Amino acid sequence: MKINPRYYPAIIIAAYVLFLLLGILLGFGPERGSEGRGNSMLFQLAFTTLESLA
Amino acid sequence: MTTAVREKSFSLAKNRRVIQWLAVIGTFVLGLRHIMPGEASRGGSFDSFCAFGGIETLLPYFFTGHLLKSTNLLNFSVLIATLGVSLVAGRAFCGWLCGLGAIQDFVAEWARKLFGERRHFPGKQSKALLPLRLPAVVDRPLRYAKYLVLVIILIASLYAAFPPLREFCPVRAVFSLKMTSLLWLTLGIFLAGSILVERFWCKYLCPLGATLAIFNKISPVRLVTDTNHCNNCGRCDIECSMGIADVPINLDHPECVRCMECLNTCARDGSLTIQIRNKENVT
Repeated sequence: MKINPRYYPAIIIAAYVLFLLLGILLGFGPERGSEGRGNSMLFQLAFTTLESLA
Repeated sequence: MTTAVREKSFSLAKNRRVIQWLAVIGTFVLGLRHIMPGEASRGGSFDSFCAFGGIETLLPYFFTGHLLKSTNLLNFSVLIATLGVSLVAGRAFCGWLCGLGAIQDFVAEWARKLFGERRHFPGKQSKALLPLRLPAVVDRPLRYAKYLVLVIILIASLYAAFPPLREFCPVRAVFSLKMTSLLWLTLGIFLAGSILVERFWCKYLCPLGATLAIFNKISPVRLVTDTNHCNNCGRCDIECSMGIADVPINLDHPECVRCMECLNTCARDGSLTIQIRNKENVT
């Protein structure tokens, strides 16, 4: 399917914004003073699942 | 018909330039924000807005549960966004949204003007002395250097406290406004390289570009050549900032940054089109 070149910039920007929001919704948001540490809900869930499986 | 195509193409090129300027200004604002008083209360260092920072801190986080110093969970969101764009449109991030890529395009444009080209005619070989196009025998092996850089950084990240590229990162050298002697050196090499060879950093050293290269092969939004229309005039080869040879048959090349300058310069209506991949439209 052909895409009008006019829409190409919008596709790129929309993809970037949507995936950025997805990342933030997954728990990878900016956290004040969290440099060097991290407690993403997604990673905690993954670690807990792995631990329970082990 | 041709006039209509040129109008469309001109609009695309103009849009790219506007977006690139916004990316540069946005990154400068991030740098400025971190030299203003009260930085500590704002959360997120300059490094935490970097997609490659997410790659650098990924392995340490996976194996130890701790992020590298100066990185932040936000790095993963920026990485997901960059990977998302690449999943949709290949290395379009490099060609459209990367502030460093934009700076290199601007430097190459200024270098061409400074070294002998009064006016640029799309599709016409530049008479400027710089930037150079390295001969294939030198250029081709150097392109693999960025993959080596990526592997070295990934290994080093397992033993590092800070992101391994941090002190040599041209993004920090250009935008962070907090300079060290190593960053001044990096800035000098980056600018000299960009004047000598167009998109020097992207072609030879960028580890993020190395990571995103694979997406050109799998992304659904891509350029397609219609061989019935294309007469292999070579205009697109001349305009390609990444120096890809035979552009119409190499549209999925891992080096392509999807800047669409080839489409912009193409004079034959319908030779190059942006399409969503399907089984019938394989080049």
